[in-house]
Amino acid sequence: MTDLTLSPMDQPALSAPRPYWGWVAVRLFRPLLVRLCAAYLAVLVLIALLVPFIANGQPYTCIVPATAGHAAMREYPLFRDLSTVSWILLVVAAALGAQGVVISLSHRLPKVQRMMRRRVGAVAITGITIIVGSLIAALHHNRLDAVNYRSLARHGLITHAVFPPVPWGYAEMEPLSKGLINQYPSHRHWLGTDGDGRDELSRLLWGARIAMGVGFVSQIIALAIGIVVGALTGYFGGIFDIILMRLVEMVESIPTFFLILTFVAVYGRHIFDIMVIIGVTGWTGYARLLRAEFFRIRNLDYVLAAQGSGMPLWRVLFKHMLPNGVTPVLVSAGFGLAGAVTIEASLSYLGVGVQPPTASWGSMLNSAGNPATVFRWWQALGPGMLIFITVLAFNLFAESLRDAIDPTTMGRR
Amino acid sequence: MTTYIIRRLLLMIPTLLGMTFMLFAVVRFAPGLTTGGGQFSAGIMQSRQAQKQEQQIMERRLHLVDKNGHPINLVMQYILWLKSTCEGHLGTSIVYQEPVLTLIEQRLPVTLTINAIAMAVIYLVSLPGGLITALNQGRLIDRGYGFFSLALYSLPVIWLGSTLLGFFANPQYFNWFPSAGLHSTNTGDMTYFRYIADYLYHIVLPIVCSVYGGFAFLSKQIRGSILENLQQDYVRTARAKGLPESTVLVRHVFRNSLLNLITLTGMSLPGLLGGSVIIEQIFSINGMGRLAYTSTLSRDLPVIQDLALVGSVLTLLSYLAVDICYHLADPRVIYD
Repeated sequence: MTDLTLSPMDQPALSAPRPYWGWVAVRLFRPLLVRLCAAYLAVLVLIALLVPFIANGQPYTCIVPATAGHAAMREYPLFRDLSTVSWILLVVAAALGAQGVVISLSHRLPKVQRMMRRRVGAVAITGITIIVGSLIAALHHNRLDAVNYRSLARHGLITHAVFPPVPWGYAEMEPLSKGLINQYPSHRHWLGTDGDGRDELSRLLWGARIAMGVGFVSQIIALAIGIVVGALTGYFGGIFDIILMRLVEMVESIPTFFLILTFVAVYGRHIFDIMVIIGVTGWTGYARLLRAEFFRIRNLDYVLAAQGSGMPLWRVLFKHMLPNGVTPVLVSAGFGLAGAVTIEASLSYLGVGVQPPTASWGSMLNSAGNPATVFRWWQALGPGMLIFITVLAFNLFAESLRDAIDPTTMGRR
Repeated sequence: MTTYIIRRLLLMIPTLLGMTFMLFAVVRFAPGLTTGGGQFSAGIMQSRQAQKQEQQIMERRLHLVDKNGHPINLVMQYILWLKSTCEGHLGTSIVYQEPVLTLIEQRLPVTLTINAIAMAVIYLVSLPGGLITALNQGRLIDRGYGFFSLALYSLPVIWLGSTLLGFFANPQYFNWFPSAGLHSTNTGDMTYFRYIADYLYHIVLPIVCSVYGGFAFLSKQIRGSILENLQQDYVRTARAKGLPESTVLVRHVFRNSLLNLITLTGMSLPGLLGGSVIIEQIFSINGMGRLAYTSTLSRDLPVIQDLALVGSVLTLLSYLAVDICYHLADPRVIYD
């Protein structure tokens, strides 16, 4: 991420030669479509990180007026009841933001710039994130808050309430007595309500968190396994290669969706299970790609030099060889992200994905009604479009990245 | 070549062993496995004794205990299971109370027909598509086709499928197509051609859903291999000796590009057998994919295990077949 934000576009011309990734970034972001995709995905990631502050039934803050025996009191219901995961993601978002600010300001402060370039700053910020995140997680108690703050505010039981832009929680149902289920879009619910009287827009936004979470976490797991296996087989070859490639073939030979269904049937349907399952079934392509690259790289002079200077093996493998062989894997990971989003949506659509009332785009499509009898297309339109555009954005981005790093098109356009 | 095939077959043995062990272990360590069929005959009050009997049958079937009821260790369990599998005794479904092999026999033709038709449609569009885009490389038609097919590839089938069904097979909107199944109810009165027409009418929507995503990948591969072949020396020779451009393209370049198709086709064969879980579920088609899905929901582990087993053995075999066919089609390709 740092590499992309350090886009060389704002560097003065005719300075030191651009690094490889600088060239790639320039070529990658030239077409407008790619910039649009990147912007869309960035917004989606931001929504995924910050969704409790965008769509929530609890106000950020409100004042409980003075009653007999009690002074007026300022309350922060939203922050008080934020879940552990939300806290961690909030801290992550803050850290990413801080990193962005530091990087964008760093050209005025050469010392900071040097630190960021040596990754010290990035490591420090990541470290602080993890520490603060786990501290909050350790100190935090989840509680269930079923208070209807909107009704309290309307009846004057709380005053000065500041609600999020979408004042509905993802699991918050309209009371059955009001008959507000399966509503068309209205002023009250901008995208209507679903069969349980829950706000569609709020659920769409919360669904972004599930989609992005499953996509990124599963692909990070897959990349970790794939890179280690691919690097080891490609570097050592021989018997090591033969044994580990059998493992690759084993996982590959079982049709993927079958394998995932099997795992889901046997071991739980918690969201984290699904992330892990998609990850451990999807790493073989990365391993194959990296293995082929390492076969090519391992006899190059600089690798021999690195080995000869007595570096530890992991340093040769992951510090010197990996950056030169990782590009096809990254392209493939872009397609993998799109695939993971699709798989999660499909699992949830089939009812074996995330558990209700968690909002997932797939399960929202499913609850748009039985298509053969009652089909509420306006409920299917939102999640369908979002899956479509997200998957398309990932695919387009990956394809453009492939074109950008393709040496045969280097001179063209 | 013979050495190569033998080598490949030998290398398949550890893969098969590992893969079968993986499937065995996944099912063996499934939580709540030995409680047996009791949990599936929901709603039926069983006597304690009947439950116990059922559990014993279950344990015997899974080779957890031997004839005298003594527990068997894990490795022996695996070997016993493998032995009975190799002898052709696949498991018995808990839900259907039928051998899995029978279930597969019933459902394979359904899936196979639909997927074969879908594949034919994909090739019919992708072959010309790949050729045209390769010849117009970099022009608007190339980029447009590329973007359009990628967009189709990204279109989620769960959305398109349910929307098509919701609009075109629904009395609420347009009741043009049947909403489920493969045949009308009165197939008995039909002539042969009516029967075929009825079948085709039923599979229009499923076919649409299974084909549209396939164009992007195949066209892209064909385009790539045509572009690669256009650079070759033999094309220059063919042009130099004055062959018309159409002959160069069709007789020389296109034919050579088709070689890559062998690999692609071979790789997609297992998917053809496996069937698409989602499409079959949306359109209520009783094929392999739906069998896998319903077994997942009812935790019918023997069925899941055997479907995965059959699928993966077929996958491995088709990969081997691909390499052999490639050699037969193009003797220049020699594996060492």
